[in-house]
Amino acid sequence: MALPATPKSWYLPTKPHKFCPGCGHGIVLKALGEAIDELEIQDKIVFGCDIGCSLLSWNFFACDSTQTHHGRTTPVMVGIKRARPELIAVGYMGDGGGYSIGSQHLLNAAVRNEKITVILVNNTNYGMTGGQMAPTTLPGQKTETTPYGRDPEITGYPTKGPEFVAALTSDTAYVARGTVSKYKQLKRYIKNALRNQMEGNGFSFVEVLSTCPTNWRTNAQQTWSFLEDEMEKYFPVGEFKNPFGKGEK
Amino acid sequence: MLEVLKFTAEDRARIVEAFIGEYASGKSEIAINRAVEIKRKGRTVTIVDLDTVEPFYTLRPLKNRLQELGLNVISYSKSDTFGLGETGAMLNPQAKWALMNEGDIILDVGYGVYGAQTLNLVEGAYESPYLRIIAVVNYTRPMTNSLSRIKEYIKELGRVDAIVANTHLGDDTTPDLIRKGNKVIIKAAIELGLPVDYMAVDKKFFEIEDFSDLGVKVKFIERYMPAAMW
Amino acid sequence: MQKVVENTKKAFLTGNEAAAWAALAAGAEIMFGYPITPQNEIMHYWTRLAPKYGRNFLQTEDEISAGFTVCGAVQAGKKAFTATAGPGNTLMQEPFSMAEAMRLPLVAIIQQRGGPSSGTVIYSQQEVTLTTFGGNGEGHRIVYSTSSHQEIYDYIIKAFNTAWKYRFPTFVLGDGYQAKMREPLEMYDPEERGIELVKTFPLVGLEGKIGEEREPQHLCNIYSMEEELYEVVMKFAAEYEAISPEVVEYEEKECEDAEILILAHGVVSRAADDAVKALRAQGIKAGYFRPITLRPFPGKQLREAIAKSGAKKMLIAESAYGQFDRLVKQEIYGETIQINNLFMPGVGIIDTDIISKVKSIID
Repeated sequence: MALPATPKSWYLPTKPHKFCPGCGHGIVLKALGEAIDELEIQDKIVFGCDIGCSLLSWNFFACDSTQTHHGRTTPVMVGIKRARPELIAVGYMGDGGGYSIGSQHLLNAAVRNEKITVILVNNTNYGMTGGQMAPTTLPGQKTETTPYGRDPEITGYPTKGPEFVAALTSDTAYVARGTVSKYKQLKRYIKNALRNQMEGNGFSFVEVLSTCPTNWRTNAQQTWSFLEDEMEKYFPVGEFKNPFGKGEK
Repeated sequence: MLEVLKFTAEDRARIVEAFIGEYASGKSEIAINRAVEIKRKGRTVTIVDLDTVEPFYTLRPLKNRLQELGLNVISYSKSDTFGLGETGAMLNPQAKWALMNEGDIILDVGYGVYGAQTLNLVEGAYESPYLRIIAVVNYTRPMTNSLSRIKEYIKELGRVDAIVANTHLGDDTTPDLIRKGNKVIIKAAIELGLPVDYMAVDKKFFEIEDFSDLGVKVKFIERYMPAAMW
Repeated sequence: MQKVVENTKKAFLTGNEAAAWAALAAGAEIMFGYPITPQNEIMHYWTRLAPKYGRNFLQTEDEISAGFTVCGAVQAGKKAFTATAGPGNTLMQEPFSMAEAMRLPLVAIIQQRGGPSSGTVIYSQQEVTLTTFGGNGEGHRIVYSTSSHQEIYDYIIKAFNTAWKYRFPTFVLGDGYQAKMREPLEMYDPEERGIELVKTFPLVGLEGKIGEEREPQHLCNIYSMEEELYEVVMKFAAEYEAISPEVVEYEEKECEDAEILILAHGVVSRAADDAVKALRAQGIKAGYFRPITLRPFPGKQLREAIAKSGAKKMLIAESAYGQFDRLVKQEIYGETIQINNLFMPGVGIIDTDIISKVKSIID
């Protein structure tokens, strides 16, 4: 049987990767890997990962990589980019890291239009710590810290990241929300986000709707259904800001 | 040293002087000495701390001593600073209305990128026909340690009416240094078309050293600021 | 890189300005900062001067970000630094821990203010514990405690060299008095003084084609197994201990025949120095010992000073409630010298404070 092609920018000694079966991270990282290959930027990338499940990507790529603290990948990437503008800085984080503990960094990097790329994986929960409520947990969704379902009266409504980033950042920024259920579109968004940095335009942000069957306790069909029927309904997929042309919604 | 000077007709006009300049150039020292000098002529004098960047550092520690010298002092005192530790209310309302005080006004303007523009904060300052804006320059300050840097710096300040040459190195000051630095400051003033009101020299050099060869008036000053810790 | 100081000359400065000039002279390329008193003028002067010398600055959203952006910039191979105080120092312990864990050549200037909490904006020596042993680590840091503007200038230049030579995060610990005080100092170009500036190197963003000319860099600060972390920390500890003798600095005066040793660090050591002179003039045999590096601590040298003097008493003076005292005690464990304290948290100490305390001890 022929093995599926792996991106050249993947680091093979660390494969197979350590994400759970059915996890969306592998799909996001494949899209990122293929985008890096197609843009021929493997030697220019500095990939930074957060704490949480995104941490498992710390040695995923055959690219220079650095692992930071929970929520602090954005400022580390800002520091690298400000010091060496010729490098392509990619921060990779989850919804907890980006929207909760590191939200001030994401917000201000967007406001300053930092010329970095942030890829944020939204799986509606804190995966690595055992499935607690995340800023993106849907109303009514059960997690270990919302055992009776998330009540917006108590904990508010889910954070809509690309919407707030788009509202804050400049028109030369690139902002999109993709999903692991639409791979080609996702790869296009990630590629746009990298190109936007390469061209020196500004902040580039892609949120990716992703799956977490382990913590959702869902089988394959339920997993896909939650992603496509619940999440994509609440979090609209599309481009919110696109300096390359009209954004698609 | 600071003998009571003769009371001349021109002294009768109101004195409104604002001392501006580089951080740690000696603005406060020069302002205090000027206030004391005119106070000793029997005039009513208000000295105003207009430092908005460090509102609790400059004149505050000296407030009591200056009041004992008979000056009206507008600055925060220790009891006012509680809860304002950071930079809460930076502009003292009394400072804003300082020109409403009777008599002469000496404004000690703090440093900052705005230079003379800070005087916009004092109601009526720019409208006063008496206002003189005086830049204090110390040649040993790195931003003003050459002819070109002094000229560049004075230009950045905005309106400047006169210069006080204040070259010193604290306790390490020597007459040679004063002479060397002030010569450069005087040259810069000439090239900028500004008068040098006087050069200020620590009174410890009085009767030891003659600076008349520099061609500007010499005022021997007391050093009050070392007592302020900063 | 453009020379910052052309000819050595004496200048009249505040400590904060001296810090900015020193960082420029040391070849620092980028500062990340967030406003907090009493370090603000370091940023004010850096932002005025940096563009004239092709250097950069970013005002970040908070101190956490300032610390982490420095971590990023040094990984990219540039001399980067930050400056903070008090609650800002508290927030920066997170990035400082990362710098410890990843051996990042981070440089931070700390101008201590009063604490705990917001405290005062003015002065203290209450950030000793935080700066030497803060964070969830083992204190693998180098901390210089300065006492004058000349030292601020000298040790900031040195701090960049130390950080990049040994790759331990390096701190210059000043205080609000040193930050705002004005005094003359000699500004010089380090290379003209024969001080070689240690070359920087990137940890990520390296030259060469990955897979052909080199392997990719994978840096991390987290480990799967206890044993992995144990090995890393033990290796760091061994390296730290190995370099400590080269790094340690101290100052000692009149200890040979002293009956009482006076210990102080930072700006308080100026008062201690004056006090020893005054006490000697009055026939009281006092000695002066001042650690310049609080981490690593000159413990061996202090034990030697105790031994050679035969002093039976010691006075530890600090503008904190025992933070320096604890550092000293852990270093001279087992000595039988009687230890006395002059703790004045958050306020200045002058020579007469020390003199009267000494007299009350020896009577």
